[in-house]
Amino acid sequence: MSVGHIARIFEAAGLPTVIVAALPFRGRLEPMAPPRLLVTAHPMGRVFGAPGDSHRQRRVVEAALGLLEEARRNPTVREMAGS
Amino acid sequence: MTFPETFEDFKNSFSYGARSDLNFKFLKHLPPEEAADFFQELLWLLGDFLDDGQSDRLAAALTRWQSRVYSRPTSWEYDHGPFAPLERPLEETTLALLTSSGHYVAGDDPRPFGIEGMSQAQAEARIGDFIKGEPTLSNIPVETPAENLRVRHGGYDVRAAQRDPNTVFPLGPLRALAAQGRIRLHSKAYSFVGATAQTPLLNKHAPRWASELKEAGVQAVLLVPV
Repeated sequence: MSVGHIARIFEAAGLPTVIVAALPFRGRLEPMAPPRLLVTAHPMGRVFGAPGDSHRQRRVVEAALGLLEEARRNPTVREMAGS
Repeated sequence: MTFPETFEDFKNSFSYGARSDLNFKFLKHLPPEEAADFFQELLWLLGDFLDDGQSDRLAAALTRWQSRVYSRPTSWEYDHGPFAPLERPLEETTLALLTSSGHYVAGDDPRPFGIEGMSQAQAEARIGDFIKGEPTLSNIPVETPAENLRVRHGGYDVRAAQRDPNTVFPLGPLRALAAQGRIRLHSKAYSFVGATAQTPLLNKHAPRWASELKEAGVQAVLLVPV
């Protein structure tokens, strides 16, 4: 919940945000109406994928930046498929 | 542990109990019949893993079971949310990373409850104190090498974050994208322990962090809950 609250407060202060969260947190975050949410198909504690998988980590960060660029309204939620 | 042990006590012991394992603390919140289904599926998938060495199905199953518990609604729900548009092209936007993963730089311990060098085990044992306490935001220069990053968080299994901070704190890919001109990366990244009291976070800390980041020239923020 902490990051959902931070997103709301930052946006209200005029600071655009994008949240990258692991799938288990989707059900808690979406009801908080976050502005931009990218959901990855990974377990808790491995939001950007497994240790050492730099290719996957890079793809998730690029997807988050794409969402930050393209979202036009709250909420915009995207889900990334598995590895 | 005392035996015979009930199945209820067994499954609950993974949540800050005698078998504490934060990947599986969700078991406490599953009814016994569902927890039994979980163990049966886990063992079956382990059998597959022995034969094909593919961990993807194990990870997918764990993600699905964690989702079953953590996707239940909480008391924090809102009908609408604010939306700040990106004011300039991403390539001209100064972006900062802020995570609730509990990272900090070696030698700059946020000293929860005044304790220097608190271990991960101690943080897990004091999770109740963290949830009632106030957060400390660690400033992390973005050039900090991975070996100088530390992580401590009583709410999740930090082993992946210890082996590779980019699993939850993706400074590596952000630096690479900045080097290519895709973004302007703010000189500092930020992290705190997300298991914290929500009211002071909402009323005091998050508004102050927003002001401080804006004053520092940050124009967008990549947020990662863990």
